[in-house]
Amino acid sequence: MVPMNAAFICRHFLNYVFLSKMAATLCVKLLPKQGWLPLTQSVRHGSKAVTRHRKPVHFLRQKLMAVTRYIPPPRVAPPGAYPPPAEQVQEDNALTVLIKRNLKKLFQENKIIAVVQNNASNSEDMMNLKYRLHKHGITVKFFPNQVMRSFLKDSIYCNMAPLLIGPTVLFVCKEPKVKEMLMTLRSSPQMTLLGACIDNTLLSAEGVVAYSKLPSMTVVQGQLVSGLTMLTSRTAHMLQHHPAHLSALLQQYVKQQSPDNSAEGAPKAEEAT
Amino acid sequence: MISFIKAAVGGLTGVCGAPGHRQGPLYNHLKVLAAGLKTYEIPPDYSDVVLPVKPKLKFLNKVPNVIKARKEMKNLKDIQGPAVSANTFTTGQYGIVALGGGYLHWGHMEMMRLTINRKMDSRTTFARWRINAPYKPITRKGLGQRMGGGKGAIDHYVTPVRYGRLIVEVGGKVELGEVEHILTEVAKKLPFPAKVMSREMLAAFQKKQADMEQNNQNPWTFKQIARGNMLGIRKVLSPFDLKNGGRFMGKFHLPGRV
Repeated sequence: MVPMNAAFICRHFLNYVFLSKMAATLCVKLLPKQGWLPLTQSVRHGSKAVTRHRKPVHFLRQKLMAVTRYIPPPRVAPPGAYPPPAEQVQEDNALTVLIKRNLKKLFQENKIIAVVQNNASNSEDMMNLKYRLHKHGITVKFFPNQVMRSFLKDSIYCNMAPLLIGPTVLFVCKEPKVKEMLMTLRSSPQMTLLGACIDNTLLSAEGVVAYSKLPSMTVVQGQLVSGLTMLTSRTAHMLQHHPAHLSALLQQYVKQQSPDNSAEGAPKAEEAT
Repeated sequence: MISFIKAAVGGLTGVCGAPGHRQGPLYNHLKVLAAGLKTYEIPPDYSDVVLPVKPKLKFLNKVPNVIKARKEMKNLKDIQGPAVSANTFTTGQYGIVALGGGYLHWGHMEMMRLTINRKMDSRTTFARWRINAPYKPITRKGLGQRMGGGKGAIDHYVTPVRYGRLIVEVGGKVELGEVEHILTEVAKKLPFPAKVMSREMLAAFQKKQADMEQNNQNPWTFKQIARGNMLGIRKVLSPFDLKNGGRFMGKFHLPGRV
């Protein structure tokens, strides 16, 4: 009985507070404001955090939660879920076949195949360059990069393929005239040497410069021959040195032991000096 | 003995060679034996595990030993939000992790202590408390008392626990399968959702949350909107929400949110 009684008292008290509040508001509405003091003051204690149970969520907050929900990244298809994209094997058209044939011939015939980057040189510059290169028997060739790459992929020159990116031209020559080519290139700053295939050897730009500094073939061959002959002559000399020395000593001894000692003075003088 | 060795060797050959080519009564016999050979998993190495002198859970005091007990306010903040302490393993391997806030009282602790101490094998396993003995006083008015007359007397003491806190740690020369049933039995009886986790599981759990935060495809995040007070949303949010980014509702953790 006693808790019931307590609850009743509590409710009664709340009713009383509510009614008095209502009366206060009515008074405010009806009476004019003149030095009015509030009859009741409600003190706000701030909202209490309810943690015993789930609080009913405010509608705006519900909206916010819905807007800011976690969205997982899209699921990637597991490997092997889709068939691999069929590789499109393109048949070469007639022009490509022709260019490839030309390229094959070019690579067979020429000793220098230099790849040069063409940095926006106009037609006049190109004409001049072609003219100057032609004087040394070097020709400038233009090939589409795609065709070049597809040709190189199957050939032994496949390591050249990374050079062929962007606007590139080929300098080809039947003799290894690297020095002349470099001299000509120095006067045209638009063209940058990327690398070259000289005598079936792939060289970088520095390698080409180093190659140009080598002496010519005949000089090298002469050096080699002279070196070889020097070795043999040296060997022969070394072999002959001791017998010759011995014979000289014996000759001198014979000369000293000979009866006429008139010549003694001169060798002695020679020994003294 | 000899026949056994024969059988073992034959079994190996039967495993290695194609059985279809072998014919005859002897090889048939060997083939049957090969099916029984099994390679067992190497058991885990517990050579570096050192068991403490007292492996069992200690008795926790029902009432803290203070000279003058003070009545405290309700202070519900101590169970809201994520735990800042005791949320990683120290010595043990497996533990009970709280997945919500709540108050543990002495009865819970006795239940945990008695169950775990009774059921675990103290020669191979040890258990450690990760919570303190009850220290927060809860007051009650006596039965049949009229309202008013000030704050009631201290009735009992509790320990507040936040989300992510470890309650008990278990370790030693055991695998999770050996102690899981004990810990789940205990975890079910706690006043908040709790889960049994091993070190690796807890690390994976935390990593998953971090990954979710990293890979969230939603350009709008709760924190950003709340901090910017977009459309005056702070009217319905509290500083608590501002801090926790909408992952908690009071003591409750809202799973699946970042």
